Amino acid sequence: MEEKRHTSSHYEKELQEIKNGLIYLGALTEKAIHAAMKSLSERNSDVAHEVIQADDEIDGLDTELEEKCIQILALRQPTAIDLRFITTAIKITGHLERIGDMAANIAEKALLLIEEPQLKPYIDLPRMTDLVAGMIRDSLDSFIRKDLHMAQKVQQTEQVIDDLNEQIFRELLTFMMEDSKSIHRSLMIMQVSKNLERIADHAKGIADMVTYMVTGECVRHQTYPLDEKEPA
Amino acid sequence: MKRNLFLKILFSYLVIVCLSFFILDLLIKDEIKKVMTSKIESELLTYAELIDLNSAQKMSEQLKQIARISGSRVTLVDARGKVLADSEKDVATMEDHFSRPELQEARLRGKGKSIRFSQSIGVDMLYVAITMKSKSQITGYIRLARPLNDVQNAIEKIYQSIFLAMMIVVALALAIALVFSYRLAAPILSMERFTERLRQGDPVGSIFLETSDETKKLADNINYLVDELQSKIRLANEEKSKLMTAFTSMTEGVLILDAEDKIEFVNQALSNMLAEQYGDINGKTLMEAFRNVDLQKAFFKFRQTHAAVFEEVTLGSIEPVILSVSISSVHNYPGEEKVMMVFHDVTRLKKLEKIRVNFVANVTHEIRTPLTAIIGYLETIQAGATTSNEDVKKFIDISLKQAGRLNRLVEDLLVISKIELGEIKLHFEEVSIRDAFENSIPLVEAKAVIKKINIHNNVQDNLSYIWADRDRLTQILVNILDNAVKFTQEDGSVFIEAGQKDNHAVLTITDTGIGVPKEEVRRLGERFYRVDQSRSRDLGGTGLGLSIVKHLMIAHGGKIEIESQLGRGTRVSLYFPLKHINRE
Repeated sequence: MEEKRHTSSHYEKELQEIKNGLIYLGALTEKAIHAAMKSLSERNSDVAHEVIQADDEIDGLDTELEEKCIQILALRQPTAIDLRFITTAIKITGHLERIGDMAANIAEKALLLIEEPQLKPYIDLPRMTDLVAGMIRDSLDSFIRKDLHMAQKVQQTEQVIDDLNEQIFRELLTFMMEDSKSIHRSLMIMQVSKNLERIADHAKGIADMVTYMVTGECVRHQTYPLDEKEPA
Repeated sequence: MKRNLFLKILFSYLVIVCLSFFILDLLIKDEIKKVMTSKIESELLTYAELIDLNSAQKMSEQLKQIARISGSRVTLVDARGKVLADSEKDVATMEDHFSRPELQEARLRGKGKSIRFSQSIGVDMLYVAITMKSKSQITGYIRLARPLNDVQNAIEKIYQSIFLAMMIVVALALAIALVFSYRLAAPILSMERFTERLRQGDPVGSIFLETSDETKKLADNINYLVDELQSKIRLANEEKSKLMTAFTSMTEGVLILDAEDKIEFVNQALSNMLAEQYGDINGKTLMEAFRNVDLQKAFFKFRQTHAAVFEEVTLGSIEPVILSVSISSVHNYPGEEKVMMVFHDVTRLKKLEKIRVNFVANVTHEIRTPLTAIIGYLETIQAGATTSNEDVKKFIDISLKQAGRLNRLVEDLLVISKIELGEIKLHFEEVSIRDAFENSIPLVEAKAVIKKINIHNNVQDNLSYIWADRDRLTQILVNILDNAVKFTQEDGSVFIEAGQKDNHAVLTITDTGIGVPKEEVRRLGERFYRVDQSRSRDLGGTGLGLSIVKHLMIAHGGKIEIESQLGRGTRVSLYFPLKHINRE
């Protein structure tokens, strides 16, 4: 999308900084999720520790970005699309920060799971991870390009993640019913899956905010046709 | 341009003409008036003197005649101012003239004059009066008056001539201005056209002027500048094309960021490296384009240190490429700093490094396993833990078996390294496919019989020969057949067929064995790669068999193709080129 330039090049630069900061934050969280899953599937505790440490950087960047946004609000008093951009950016940093926390959560669970023998080969979890990371990427892409179509794609993928989470839940349930010794590990894996599902929720939240930013229309808390098929 | 110049010149001429006329008017008009008036005055005075010489009283009758001769009005006034006679008016109607300025002046100085506007005839009149004296007693005044019409008329006449002259001058000025402006404008105009064409980028030669004044010098300067400019442009273009050639032909990827940190240039090599995974990245920032934390961190580091940064980053999510990147700044204009990133594709290097590390690890592992067993059993015997001859024999048997395996492993490794180093010389000859199989099958038959596996040799007699090293071919076939027998359950079958396809002889060995998972097929042929680690080692493999076959097939100019279905069996096809045999 061709963007109009602001008369103040300094203002333009500030907005660009926020944009870059958000993508950077997004890339950090994406990397954290992948690394967390790697630590789990390759049983590598070093990687898990790295992810937990990297969360501090994500938190720091989140506050930094938010301050920048507030500064722009106070000094530039943006209007129309710029105002929506800034407010959306503030919300997105919040979402990304939570995603970072969840990646750290997964890494913590991975550290515990590494201690015990592997319950089952992980097949669905890495798939879910790839999908979730893709959602974050796409949601930020849609934000940068102000692309509604891409935002919709993210909103629809969320359903797939929910289904996968459900499937993992059922599978682990059978494990637990068969062998009570597997309950602890199963619960851990379930939490990993739940965390991934919540990350997907946050990615969808970002996509909703993008829809708001582009159209000015609030689509949060709405249900999608796909949702209705799901038995409550 | 021309019009303007013409108007300017014309205007300046007109100003000069008008100014000179005005000055003329200022200087001449009064002078002429003065000269003419004094001339008339002295003329009238002379007439008045003449009248005085004669008796005034007698003259009064001849006043009209005098007036006609002198061309003036003559009035006689007595000492008290009473009009005695007048050449034009009736005396009775005339008032007392004593207060008239000319009479007053004459009373005091003997003669007087005055210029007044006469109400009666409506023109300026010159009045001249002298006194009539007898015995130094003023007896009366003679006054002559003449209208100054003549002076006015004369001045007007002169003015008319001057105006006419002026008109001629103006007309001349017009003509001169036209010619002059044209002469002046022509070279300027042609220079203007020349520069205009230059501005529009038309190919221009140089400009020639026929004049020799300042414009000529200007034209020469323009010509010089054009030459200079063109050579500069040519130089710049050459530099640019040199640079572009360098950038496009180099194998390293190059990316240039402009002063706003946006991607300004990406060379072909980098686009190839990234294999279009990022779309069009021109005009985006690094973060927007690549979404890569490591690359961005390297860039931050560069921004902070302002020194060249070397980093290794993995780009691309679908097809990851490992790139070593060096970031440095480029100064082309003062104050404008650009950033250049040079990317080096190290994916292959990294892969090879990994393979090497894995290989060493694998070799060590493969050698250590039998060694541990041998050392363990020998130590047991040495410690005298068992005295039973049977046990000792058993231990020694196992040790020997393991030693044999070690030996095979070392031999296989030697073969592989020899093939890889190109030290193995193949002795090519014509080998009958049937012969090759008949030489190989007996070597695996014993095993097959034990497992009750049927080997169906369906090779026809009339098949052509292939060009191969007989011993190596046997080695290849034994390896494949051995695998087929090894990984097929009891009562299974192995089928051997041969045919031709696309200029190749194709030898196919199909088994009804356990097969290989689809995703693993690609990795068969890697050194020490085993689909099922524990199982194949139990069966006595070194993990190098297929790797050797692969290399030998490459040395023969052929290739190996493996298709497999888990639980159904495996089909191995060996392609040997036919070109050497067709000379028959």
